Amino acid sequence: MTLFTRRATLAAGSALLAAPHAVRAQGAPIRLGTLTPLTGAGGPYGPVMANCVRAVITEVNAAGGVLGRQIQLVSEDDQTNPEAGLRSARKLIDVDRVAAIMGTWASSVTTAVAPLCWESRTFLATVSGADSITALPHNGWLVRTQPNTTLQGRKFGEYAIELGARRAFFMAPQTPFTQSQFTNMKTAMERAGGTAELLVYDASKPSLRTEVDQALRFRPDIIVMGGYTPDTTVLLRDIFRAGYTGRKLAFAYSVNQQMLSALPNDVTEGIHTLAPSPAENSGGFARVKRIVGNDNPDPYTCQVYDHVNLVLMAMAAGRDGTGQAIRDSIRSVSQGGGEKVDNALDGLRAIAAGRKVDYDGASGPCDFTDAGDISDCQFRYEQVRAGRQTLLRIA
Amino acid sequence: MPEALAQALINGVIAGTILAVPALGFTAIFAVLNYPNFAIGALATVGAYAGWVGNTALGLPMVAALALAFSATAVAGLVVQWAAVKPLESAGALMMAIASLAAGLVLENALRFGFGNDLRGYDLPLLRDWRFGEFRVGPQQVQNFALALAAMGMLWAFLRYSRTGRAMRAVADNRDLALLRGVDPARVAAVTVAVGAGLAGMGGMLVGLDTSVDPLVGTRLVLSIFAAAVLGGLGSIPGAVAGAIAIGVAEEVAVLAFNPAYRLVVGFVVILAVLTLRPAGLFGARAS
Amino acid sequence: MVSYIVFLLVVAGIYALLAQSLCLAWGVTGLVNLGLAGFFAIGAYASATLTKWGGVPVPVGLLAAMLAGAVAGFVVCVSTLRLRDDYLAIVTLGFAEAVRVIASNEIWLTGGTDGISGIPAGLPRDWGQGFHLAALGIVTAILGVVWLALRRLVASPWGRALRAVREDQIVAAVAGKHVTRLKAEAFAIAAAIAALAGALYGHYTSYIAPEIFQPLITIYVFLAVTAGGNGRPTGAAFGAYLLIAFLEATRFAAEVLPGVSAVQAAALREASVGVALILLLRLRPRGLFPELNQKAPA
Repeated sequence: MTLFTRRATLAAGSALLAAPHAVRAQGAPIRLGTLTPLTGAGGPYGPVMANCVRAVITEVNAAGGVLGRQIQLVSEDDQTNPEAGLRSARKLIDVDRVAAIMGTWASSVTTAVAPLCWESRTFLATVSGADSITALPHNGWLVRTQPNTTLQGRKFGEYAIELGARRAFFMAPQTPFTQSQFTNMKTAMERAGGTAELLVYDASKPSLRTEVDQALRFRPDIIVMGGYTPDTTVLLRDIFRAGYTGRKLAFAYSVNQQMLSALPNDVTEGIHTLAPSPAENSGGFARVKRIVGNDNPDPYTCQVYDHVNLVLMAMAAGRDGTGQAIRDSIRSVSQGGGEKVDNALDGLRAIAAGRKVDYDGASGPCDFTDAGDISDCQFRYEQVRAGRQTLLRIA
Repeated sequence: MPEALAQALINGVIAGTILAVPALGFTAIFAVLNYPNFAIGALATVGAYAGWVGNTALGLPMVAALALAFSATAVAGLVVQWAAVKPLESAGALMMAIASLAAGLVLENALRFGFGNDLRGYDLPLLRDWRFGEFRVGPQQVQNFALALAAMGMLWAFLRYSRTGRAMRAVADNRDLALLRGVDPARVAAVTVAVGAGLAGMGGMLVGLDTSVDPLVGTRLVLSIFAAAVLGGLGSIPGAVAGAIAIGVAEEVAVLAFNPAYRLVVGFVVILAVLTLRPAGLFGARAS
Repeated sequence: MVSYIVFLLVVAGIYALLAQSLCLAWGVTGLVNLGLAGFFAIGAYASATLTKWGGVPVPVGLLAAMLAGAVAGFVVCVSTLRLRDDYLAIVTLGFAEAVRVIASNEIWLTGGTDGISGIPAGLPRDWGQGFHLAALGIVTAILGVVWLALRRLVASPWGRALRAVREDQIVAAVAGKHVTRLKAEAFAIAAAIAALAGALYGHYTSYIAPEIFQPLITIYVFLAVTAGGNGRPTGAAFGAYLLIAFLEATRFAAEVLPGVSAVQAAALREASVGVALILLLRLRPRGLFPELNQKAPA
């Protein structure tokens, strides 16, 4: 976009703000924003998320947009820092006047920008994991597609037991969900007669040999890894070197395509991963694979794909390109029965024809509780075999 | 527990030896040019990427990739010196330090611009550790350890026997006297920056071999590098080696002794304690 | 658009307080504080925990933050004051990282990586724009008080003694100045100002977390102070407003840059901070408001 057209659209946008609703529907573009980490610790995740949203919007624009209006995407960087994130969010809300902000990643950034969103009637869709986020007094202005730690921790514990493990050693850096993830996992393990131990390491340490020695002294039959891709890479190398051959379990967002191509196959062989997932035959996951161009789309990318599809359809269902419409209508397109869709193109067509839709996305069925948490989700159980994720089952 | 402690000592010595390589680079620049180069972390990242490109794209063997990491980072270090630091020579050490900090930020983001944030791994098989009874040592650790020792040996020989190396030591010991003896200060400064940055790059590559390469790989090391250099006595070459090994050991033993998440605090406490009790460090004599 | 600008003015005011801190420590006294983010954090946490969990009123929280900052500043600088100044730079850099690690892991005290949300502001947040305007008024007023006080301090005999120490410690000592004591006083006061900025940040935005207090914040403030002129409180404050204008302008510039991806644009924005700092140091080292020629009585 050139500076001139940018100024022109800004001027047009502000002129139209004053105009009545009917005039605006004539075709001024609707703005949406992504706020993902492009620099800092979240850097490995944010760029592909922003690209995925852009791809979906390009497709929808080519098919005529939403409510006859084109969608404009503004992608900002939160620098994995709440202070920078707050400034970016202010700009998205006050200058670009986006209807929704999608893809906030770090829990701290989400917590910092959430009040701003609900005060300014901007919808917020996040992938952050801290349980405290949906407990904020957001009044429906926020949804989160990442399963909370109560659910995830329990699933980890139950799956460890199912794999035949009784002694789990959980290794993670300090994150907002480390403690509760571990507590819930431990409870699930103890219920089945197992036991679990936690070690919080420093994610910036270049070698975790002594930490792995500590883990092995516990004689674990499963090591559970709760970090992100860069530190889990270090951890896996040292687990391999230590000669540990027992089971390994991790989040799918850490054992992703980047890691599988950065590490030799025998280091990653046999790792079990869990990720929130839609039903087996859902087309959303296949679409994300196509967009990102590999077979292992990151769970965060799948979730942000769902954010943008839901937001687009909610605006159509609410017949308005505003945050208010998204907040009021998102549950009418995400749940409650109707025509099953897995992408906004089909969904927008059905909504235009007056039919009710029920979106099942790439990260799960995307049905939300009143607090904004997903009410139910299946998990995809995968195992790394010869450097590739192999689907074991979805349950 | 004694076995655990002994194993942590082994791990610490190996980690410390690798840390010694960039710490030597940092302290050498401090000794001759008299300012702390805060771009050292970003320079280590440059080396990690250069070695990675050499290894995966050009198919170079390890030693050749390491040489490439050294030379590429030496060039980057000279660019930083000429573009950012040297113009401020008359403004004092602090201004030069701040300029190097800014230059580090530019380098980190230049790499991010070119390579993105994705993790990169060297094209090397990973080997299981050798076991000796209760203890274990990794073949790659031993190799990296040997490479680090070789680099230090070469630096020592260079400082001891080459004309330029002797001039560097002379300037570090007594700048005015060295000038009187007809040492060319500009040449010595340039060689020191190239060697110092090159060592940082080699250190970055050695760490990258063990972890993976991303735009923050060197930045994660800086506090340990500073702690090592201060502990050894800023500007002391043998001090940097001893300091790095001590920091390496302290960081590993700290995992056993208390919360492993507090590694960075260990480095900080060591710096504070050394400066309070023995500011010249283990080997230095020029603190005040 | 108006609320965006009001918000930026508040944030710039907080950065201007950080710049006052650095102006006193670095510009006037010659002590490089690379741990500014750490003192910023200590103030934010001291006031947030006391007002949120201890129930004390916000003004008391602000005072407590300044006290905590001064104590931390004294402890950090005391071991290095007799050494070359670059040792202090290294110690403070380590200090900021240590603060972040402790804030992340001592969950009972700081809320851990979750941070502390819902920090009271001392003003009703449901005033809408009124709240932000009131906050702007308060932050700007506090900045004004600190700026005035600092100007007077810098012009006082104490300020002249600090400059004498900066120019030549040995000469200052020979002239009968208590060099270490002067340095410790200046550094502790500077740390208290940084802590005050942190406390205000927490009360205004209602949320703090360890990830806020990254080294990049310190680099930003160095850029601000260098741009404005590091020896004068007026220059430092002005530089902070320039800094925020610059950081936000690069955002819009990045949007109109053709042919770069989102990551590349973000990388260029961060790099531009470093490039700007290098260029300023080189071309205009004394800033827009150069120090007035008050030669220290050495």
